[in-house]
Amino acid sequence: MDGPLIVQSDKTLLLEVDHPAAEEARRAIAPFAELERAPEHVHTYRLTALGLWNARAAGHDAEQVVNALIEYSRYPVPHALLVDLAETMDRYGRLQLVDHPTHGLVLHALDRAVLEEVLRSKRTAGMLGARLDTDDVAVHPSERGRLKQALVKLGWPAEDLAGYVDGEAHLIDLVTDGWALRPYQQQAADSFWHGGSGVVVLPCGAGKTIVGAAAMAHSKTTALILVTNTVAARQWRDELLRRTTLTEDEIGEYSGARKEVRPVTIATYQVLTMKRKGVYPHLELLDARDWGLIVYDEVHLLPAPIFRMTADLQARRRLGLTATLVREDGREDEVFSLIGPKRYDAPWRDIEAQGYIAPAVCTEVRLTLPETERMVYATAEPEDRYRLAASASGKNRVVEQLVARHSDEQVLVIGQYLDQLHELAEHLDAPLLTGQTTVRERQRLFDAFRAGEISRLVVSKVANFSVDLPEAAVAIQVSGSFGSRQEEAQRLGRIMRPKADGRTAHFYAVVARDTVDQEFAAHRQRFLAEQGYAYTIVDSHDLEADPAE
Amino acid sequence: MATFTEHLRALGPDGLVALLELRRDLAAPPPASVRALAARATTRASLDRALATVDAGVLATLDALLVLPAPVSAEDVAAALGADAADWVADALERALAWADEDGLHATPGLAELLGPWPAGLGPSLSTTLARRTPETLAALADVLGVPDPSPEAIAAHLADPAAITELLDTAPAGAPAVLDALAWGPPVGRSPSRDAPGHTAVSWLLQHGLLAVGDPQHVLLPREVALARRGGRLRAEPPVRPRLEPTPVDPGLVAGEAARHALEAVRLTAELVATWGRTPAPVLRAGGLGVRELRRVAGALDVDAGTAAVLVEVAGAAQLVADDGEEEPVFCPTTLADEWGSRGIGERWAELAGAWLASDRAPWLVGTRDDAGALRSALDPTNHRPWAARLRAAVLQVLADAGDGRLDPADVHAQLAWRTPRTAPTEHAVRAVLDEAALLGVSGAGVLAPHARALLDLIDGAVEASGTDGRPDESDGWASRTADALEAVLPAPVDEVLLGGDLTGIVPGRPSDRLSALLTEIAEVESRGAGLTVRFTEASVRSALDSRTAEEILAALGAHARTGVPQPLEYLVSDAARRHGQVRAGSALAYLRGDPAALATLTGHAAMRGLGARLVAPGVLIATAPPAELVEAVRAAGLPAVLEDADGLAVRLTPTAHRVRLRRRTVPDPALGRRRLERVAADLAGTPDPEPEDQGTAEPVETLGLLREAAAAGREVWLEVAGPSGPSRRRVRVLRVDAGRVRVLDAERESELIVAVHRIVGAEPAEPSSGEDLHADRSAT
Repeated sequence: MDGPLIVQSDKTLLLEVDHPAAEEARRAIAPFAELERAPEHVHTYRLTALGLWNARAAGHDAEQVVNALIEYSRYPVPHALLVDLAETMDRYGRLQLVDHPTHGLVLHALDRAVLEEVLRSKRTAGMLGARLDTDDVAVHPSERGRLKQALVKLGWPAEDLAGYVDGEAHLIDLVTDGWALRPYQQQAADSFWHGGSGVVVLPCGAGKTIVGAAAMAHSKTTALILVTNTVAARQWRDELLRRTTLTEDEIGEYSGARKEVRPVTIATYQVLTMKRKGVYPHLELLDARDWGLIVYDEVHLLPAPIFRMTADLQARRRLGLTATLVREDGREDEVFSLIGPKRYDAPWRDIEAQGYIAPAVCTEVRLTLPETERMVYATAEPEDRYRLAASASGKNRVVEQLVARHSDEQVLVIGQYLDQLHELAEHLDAPLLTGQTTVRERQRLFDAFRAGEISRLVVSKVANFSVDLPEAAVAIQVSGSFGSRQEEAQRLGRIMRPKADGRTAHFYAVVARDTVDQEFAAHRQRFLAEQGYAYTIVDSHDLEADPAE
Repeated sequence: MATFTEHLRALGPDGLVALLELRRDLAAPPPASVRALAARATTRASLDRALATVDAGVLATLDALLVLPAPVSAEDVAAALGADAADWVADALERALAWADEDGLHATPGLAELLGPWPAGLGPSLSTTLARRTPETLAALADVLGVPDPSPEAIAAHLADPAAITELLDTAPAGAPAVLDALAWGPPVGRSPSRDAPGHTAVSWLLQHGLLAVGDPQHVLLPREVALARRGGRLRAEPPVRPRLEPTPVDPGLVAGEAARHALEAVRLTAELVATWGRTPAPVLRAGGLGVRELRRVAGALDVDAGTAAVLVEVAGAAQLVADDGEEEPVFCPTTLADEWGSRGIGERWAELAGAWLASDRAPWLVGTRDDAGALRSALDPTNHRPWAARLRAAVLQVLADAGDGRLDPADVHAQLAWRTPRTAPTEHAVRAVLDEAALLGVSGAGVLAPHARALLDLIDGAVEASGTDGRPDESDGWASRTADALEAVLPAPVDEVLLGGDLTGIVPGRPSDRLSALLTEIAEVESRGAGLTVRFTEASVRSALDSRTAEEILAALGAHARTGVPQPLEYLVSDAARRHGQVRAGSALAYLRGDPAALATLTGHAAMRGLGARLVAPGVLIATAPPAELVEAVRAAGLPAVLEDADGLAVRLTPTAHRVRLRRRTVPDPALGRRRLERVAADLAGTPDPEPEDQGTAEPVETLGLLREAAAAGREVWLEVAGPSGPSRRRVRVLRVDAGRVRVLDAERESELIVAVHRIVGAEPAEPSSGEDLHADRSAT
């Protein structure tokens, strides 16, 4: 017994990556264990009820899970844990959602006692219709999602056998001239398709759009794509035009500016969740066509109203795409239960090792505040402290040094506070791009940056997501929204497109020492550190001493 | 025919030793003679103890010896029980619960009372019941039965024959056999039906024919021989059979793994308990024991549930690792033995815990229940012990050992114990609790006795005895080292390296060695445990370690264990924490000087400042260990015009020191006051009326003595009431002297002088000067 796996009593699994059998073990546990952390030496997986039920849904049984643990574990696995695991998995599928030829959607019980328990629960109130016979209860079709969610909360997840509506057929194919799906993209698209619905987690820059395109090619139906903003919508359209048989006439944009409904429609979250006189006027888009596939881009940002709408869409195939499924509001579970389980997840470093994303070096530059600023900080009100520390004047100098260090590379400077950004833009003599910049101007600046006409760009949080800037190789973060882990990862993601010459990307976070800025930075870095991006920490005066490095 | 005493004498030295081994209470204190030994062995207490240790088969055998007609042989017993009784008979003989002579087997005298009133559910014998009948009814009975001799013996002999009873019952009224059968398997007592009740005819007929006997006016008894005849000569409906052990087979690897894991965990948790209480001892309740809230706190600190915490605390207490310190405000804190324990190897530490648990008479499962008075029982409560707890643990362990590699249900274990010691069968709840304890401590794994716990079995005999003394098993025979070795053999090898990640976590891929574990718990926070250990380094965790180590030492210590090196972020974290460590410092001083830095600087070397503990802590700030006034004086002596200031920085006016000693003012009595008091006393006295002449006697001791002294001085006669052996007596006496607790008086009438002890004097009353009559006024009977 000398496996790569160590089972902890809190149901985490430690996988030693340097072990010769590590890859084999990873494949064995991936179907039922959630990857939680992936730093250099040991990856941590967690066994959760949801994960185990998803494994059941995907056709894995308890025996397989137990065997995988026993086979790859270095030490004897606690008996109680194995028993608990088998019992948890056994709770799945005692109830089934089936499509009854005459009664429509029906909850069918294989275990009558469970059905009785569920019927008496307050959680399912109003979701279930007439009792058809001892083992069957009618389900209101609109409640399919909410019922499934409620059943998961009750601990009796239903096996959904009702299937999906086919949707309106529409021919879509991939046009693979001069490129091909990468193996992990293929795997992700396939495992999504076999699972029916679900979330694909891939690092920034690893080509999630192409996974979406591949899914559409599988589906060959009309599709609705929900994205974060208009710039992202345009990028999706361009990518789809390039990678698929779709033509411009087949792709519609549904945003603040345009309201087109075409076989493939790209809509922004903002438009859908816009509320006027207490109603969401654009929600009918969801029913405008018989969509065969709904794609949620950047699913970690899914706003609450969309959660509610998604519950009604359980009969349609749903694909969620994200790089960082960490939500500071802790609603990851809702994403999984409404859109679907995680169908594919790869550690960032693995994709990097395959050469599909640029290797990145993360550096935290610690800036010691001058005495006067320290006093101002020390006496400031708590709510002002982060802003004070984050927009410390010394950061300008540091940014300048860093920019000088990477004088021949495309540099993004990212920040939170507009006055700080204005100052920086002036300081560096670089264009500034914020929420106030018009879409047209944004496009122009991004295009110029892509073309290399400008090599410095100061941006606010509008550039956090979905902005494709392939040649950006250096990002300097001067401030952010407090301790947001996914923001940090998304910002790193801006520079992770593989570079033409295979250069390493550099990510700098400039942090004021001994302030809340430093505390928030530690929290922000957690996701990336857990993905194996260890931050090197340097002092700002070291930069000064060695500018040539 | 021999006697029990002779039987014991005949055992010889070896036989007696064997007996005393089995019944140790007979040897303490050593009996003076075999007669004394026999007397002790037949006492209720000793027999009760002996019966507590025998199984249901032996008890059935003893029943048989009590009820079967003499002479009884081992074969008779076997036939009556319907089972092979040879072992049981031998067992009973070994323990002197039975004895044998040329006539056969006998139950030891005294057993009948203990196993009664109806051993084996059988009533009194026919000869006993018949002997209670009057000669007339006997004659009538003999007549009915056709027995020529109307003596009880003859009739009994006739009825003892089952064939006779069967024959007799053929002529019985309907219902008579049913009545007999209802009583046949015991208890042999039935209520007499009233005259018009349905069974009356049958019962009357049975009484008439001697098949039932009258117990008391309301009850009838079934004689033993009749019952045996109805039972077909058997003592039991079902022969006594030991319940079969049917363990479910379990993979031995699983057992060893589970038990080893729990053993490790138990040792770790106990060590943590010791550490926790070492830092902050837990207060002892006034009634002794650990309060509910304290127990919950322990559970929280150890991250276990309260039940587990109670067991851990009790085991630690039994192993004397923690104890009540007995101070005025008593607390539970670790003992010096805990330090010794902590320094030993993991195996030895566990062996000590397991041994202490086995020998302990503590009952942790009572924690949280309420006693008879309704009070909540707390952990470590001094009353939470049960004398049988150690015996129960040993018995449970023995059953597990007998089950070999198979798992038993708690109910099966309980059934086994109910067979093995029916007279002291524990409740199933206690059995379950002990099984849970065994699992928790890693004595068993997956419900099977762990291989490393087998050496504990050697301890059982000794442990049970040792529990009577100090609760700590005797370690002389090496069971401890054998247990320790056995455990260490199944434990995974300790791992001495940690994999440090850039996300400030560290993972020990296995069981950390003691050294590594101590290091990591000192400088990191534990995130998860199990087969491995994961920790997270935070600024707070590193900072606490910086009190005892420097950053370099921490990094060197980590580096020595880190296979993959110390990542830069961690290195930075440690040195950054070290940089901030001690940014603000605290110390003690009694006074300070502040002011012009240059002026203060001149002071530091000045002779006047010597001995004041003066020290510059910052430019312009000097502290001293002398009081402020003294400091000011010294500074002035050094030529600086210092001023004392108060908390607001305002100058305090310094008055010249004047030494004083504090005294309480003495009060001088006011003559006027004293006089007034005396006057009040006098007035009170004056207000009390004089006693009437006939009321002049007294029973007040002080007053009596006064009266007597008066009489002595006056040479007067008094009536003296004196307590005597036959009650108080009253006599007229002349008091001669009162001294040293005695009164010397002269009884004029009897013309005798006597001395009366003062405490015997009940009362006295002056006598009227008499003329000689009324001398016989003695009111007492004497």
